[in-house]
Amino acid sequence: MNPDAREYDYSVECKPDFAFLTVQIPAGQTLKVEASAMATMDTNLVMKAKMKGGLSRLLTGESLFVNEFTAQNGPGQIGIAPGSPGDLEHVYLNNETIFLQSSAFVAATPNVQTDSKWQGFKGFFSGEALFLIRCSGVGDLWFNTYGAMIEIDVTQDYIVDTGYIVAFTEGLQYEVGMLGGLRTSFLSSEGLVCRFSGQGKVWIQTRQVPAFAWWTLPFRPQKNNG
Amino acid sequence: MDIEIQHGPGNAAAKIHLHPRETVIAEGGAMIAMSSDLHVETTTHNRGGGGILKGLKRLLAGESFFINHFTSGDHGGNIIFAADLPGDMMEYRLDGDTLIVQAGSFVCSSSEVTMDMSWQGFGKAFLSGERAFWLKIGGHGQVVLSSFGAIYPVEVNGEYIVDTGHIVAFNETLNFSVTKAGGSWMTALLGGEGLVCKFQGQGTVWCQSHNESTFGRALGPLLKPRS
Repeated sequence: MNPDAREYDYSVECKPDFAFLTVQIPAGQTLKVEASAMATMDTNLVMKAKMKGGLSRLLTGESLFVNEFTAQNGPGQIGIAPGSPGDLEHVYLNNETIFLQSSAFVAATPNVQTDSKWQGFKGFFSGEALFLIRCSGVGDLWFNTYGAMIEIDVTQDYIVDTGYIVAFTEGLQYEVGMLGGLRTSFLSSEGLVCRFSGQGKVWIQTRQVPAFAWWTLPFRPQKNNG
Repeated sequence: MDIEIQHGPGNAAAKIHLHPRETVIAEGGAMIAMSSDLHVETTTHNRGGGGILKGLKRLLAGESFFINHFTSGDHGGNIIFAADLPGDMMEYRLDGDTLIVQAGSFVCSSSEVTMDMSWQGFGKAFLSGERAFWLKIGGHGQVVLSSFGAIYPVEVNGEYIVDTGHIVAFNETLNFSVTKAGGSWMTALLGGEGLVCKFQGQGTVWCQSHNESTFGRALGPLLKPRS
């Protein structure tokens, strides 16, 4: 992957805590954007709502609606704010493929195909109701994290807690399991881990939304049974 | 081991580079990624001492009951730790001195350091109404601590007051007493400042910019009741 290649001009500001993406859409061209992520835009942009993937999406419980913004009568600018405060990265796919955790998708140019890849049969995130989006083709892809992002070059095996995986390149082999043996996994509080092997890249996030949600538990009111 | 703290102060993570056959110990659940050939062992205590009782004491201290020991193989390796809440991390090198750490701020340390409750602080800390215990960390080696929000050190020479919810750690050379913030108990309670720590002597207090409990109390009422 060439880090300098890009199809559309863009800029990312306020990394790594509050990354915000601005994309220049050329005249007559289209950008696919995660639903409700558009924050600002020129008035010549026209939006069309699309549900990508169809019924399988609904079955997974993940609303993965993508809006398409088309620049009419000249180029247009769009400002995109991901839902979670955190970091944002760009990759240029040149007939390459990346797997994204579903909530990480932010935007893509039209020739990037985004297919949900139902992982139930593979047991990738068994026990953690997550699924992956397979992004392939040619063009720009932007994705975000909750917290900061760390890019890891996998040259030997590497282990990542499944809750912190953001994206990884196709070609890596992966296997989900427990850390150490059954006893270690249970006692260590480390949960499920994914063991990547081969050559490629993995992107991880430094925080996870469920952990933050669990932290709020003792502060929530007691249910009044009266 | 070499410690690289990344992406502070917002959502810091600590990347630990281990030399061959070196061990880092960490709170359960703190590991987010690592070299696959690290050997993992879970114990209730520092290896070689204590036992279940020490594990229980750590549980009471708000730390996970279990401590994970990650040991590298012949080629070394690396491991990344993160905290649950947004905030920063700091590294401290112990050279025979002792650090008192607010329970929950401990992330990881080299295996040579000793970790125990600070019984001296038990009563006072309990009264403070915040997280009830401190960890006492001593020996020789490196420690990584996390905070809610940013971390700033305060050099104390004489007396200094810090709200109990804003303490990350302090040198054991400092004496501390838990006291009221205002002139009277009434102003202390009405002022919402509750109880504070008064430090005396010479040493450093590392403070965190935000107070977990205060944020939790702001957020809690907006959430659904616990079922």
